[in-house]
Amino acid sequence: MLKDLALIFISAVLTNNFVLTYFLGICPFLGVSGQMESAWGMGTAVTFVMTLSSAICWVFYHFILVKFNIIFLEYVVFILVIASLVQIVEMFIRKFSPPLYEMLGIYLPLITTNCAILGMALFMVTKKYGFIESVVFGFSAGLGFSLVLIIMAGIREELKYADVPKNFQGAGITLITAGILALIFMGFSGITS
Amino acid sequence: MSKTKLLPIFKKGLWENHPTFRQLLGMCPTLAVTTSALNGLSMGLAVMFVLVFSTFIVSLIRRLVPAQVRIAVYTIIIATFVTIADIFLKANFPQVSKDLGPYVPLIVVNCIILGRCEAFASKNTPLKSVIDALGISSGFLWGLMLLGSIREFFGSGSIFGITLLAKGFKPLIVMILPAGAFLVLGFLVSLINFIEKRMKKC
Amino acid sequence: MRTLKIILTLALTCIFSAGVLSLSDKLAEHKIKENQKKAINQAIFKMIKQAAKIQALAGKKIQIYKAFDKNGHTAGFAFIAEGSGYQGKISILCATDVSFRKLLGIEIIESMETPGLGARISEDWFKQQFRGLSVLKPITYGKKADLNNNQIQAITGATISSRSVVRIINNAMKKAEKTAKNEQN
Repeated sequence: MLKDLALIFISAVLTNNFVLTYFLGICPFLGVSGQMESAWGMGTAVTFVMTLSSAICWVFYHFILVKFNIIFLEYVVFILVIASLVQIVEMFIRKFSPPLYEMLGIYLPLITTNCAILGMALFMVTKKYGFIESVVFGFSAGLGFSLVLIIMAGIREELKYADVPKNFQGAGITLITAGILALIFMGFSGITS
Repeated sequence: MSKTKLLPIFKKGLWENHPTFRQLLGMCPTLAVTTSALNGLSMGLAVMFVLVFSTFIVSLIRRLVPAQVRIAVYTIIIATFVTIADIFLKANFPQVSKDLGPYVPLIVVNCIILGRCEAFASKNTPLKSVIDALGISSGFLWGLMLLGSIREFFGSGSIFGITLLAKGFKPLIVMILPAGAFLVLGFLVSLINFIEKRMKKC
Repeated sequence: MRTLKIILTLALTCIFSAGVLSLSDKLAEHKIKENQKKAINQAIFKMIKQAAKIQALAGKKIQIYKAFDKNGHTAGFAFIAEGSGYQGKISILCATDVSFRKLLGIEIIESMETPGLGARISEDWFKQQFRGLSVLKPITYGKKADLNNNQIQAITGATISSRSVVRIINNAMKKAEKTAKNEQN
């Protein structure tokens, strides 16, 4: 059991990283990786929401969708669960932890349309994970996302001082850097077997 | 309304407002399913279907929806059409549905669609919205097909499954791996930048 | 009044969405099931040449199919082997002869392996190596195929995927044999 969980963890963080192998969460990955500080904020917010939504989506899927045989409503229900969860989390931390809200506040609304969260919920179903496995999967996927985001932010902060050819500036060089990062992460493959 | 007014709306999506190369929207399907030209085509058509119908409905009900819940309502509408597209593919094109895998349901969170509903369809007539949706999704479609063709050509030596390179050719596997997707798109975006600048100079 | 309007709008949208979806699900459900059945049947026909009719047996741990030739005699068996590969689930359809001793072939029904590397398990040369292997002892893998030692050649650069296929089939063979034996008696 513990071995399975460790496997899920390593696989979601390193070998099957959501950003670099499944291309999930690319928009925030390109959007907020310009600065270290915002990368930390976004990473924390995503990990937090992902862990919570893995638990809640699992419960909804198994106790409502499967039970009443309405699996065809899967996508609609998942996106509603994620959107409402983001809203609730936002209201909650605004009230109870203003410093945390200051740190994560502006990233939370962006999370609803982060495909990594919905992707995680869909994978959790196709991989037939149990409750604990799903939560571990959600947490590790969020962690993997944050890891790559932070590495990318570090590189891009250095890149500001590099002499990049004019046409490559902006999106071009960011994508190419991501490609090289993906190549590096391929080095982890095989770790899980 | 005259036709001259509609054509520019359509054309805008093809180049000036190109979702992939200009706005860098809808990146996950762009990178994930473009391992072959055919996959790019099917994903492009799926997005076109969802975009046209969602923007049409959103535009029809634009005066009825209270502002506070409009995003939620748009999202439900989008998710509904995505599910229809998913069911349709599963029933009629099982192979395509298998190849695209989880990226069909992920159209729900494709920012192009929500972006168009919010920025255009919620303020314009149904006809204009549909034309705009057709323009943007055609732009998305050619972007996906171009990316898919390049990656398939170098990665498998074929385009649309038709072998173009001789037997002795050793495919560059990296092109159809995730890393290749980032690299090819990075170079393409830079190339489009270059062309744009040239065109402005003329 | 305003809250009421908000609730009403959301509720109406949800009802509309659920209605449209349940309708399209009803329309397509039959066809989707039919497609899945057809895909498996076609794969079995491809591997068991004499097969004319296929019947699904009620296996407890594993899905087994029995194939009949046109005279109604048993022509062979097929079973679905599932397990995890390098990236995710791999699902393999294996066909055996009537006596359940030899593999007649395998087909990859579902896999999420890396394109260009692990996905090569779906290539014909790889699948054909399994034809004629013994079901009675475990299959092994190595650098060269060797029919006498029940060995297949692993794919260069995709050893993990090749190993997963072998392991999944070995595991399933044990489970399938029992059910198939019961059926024969």
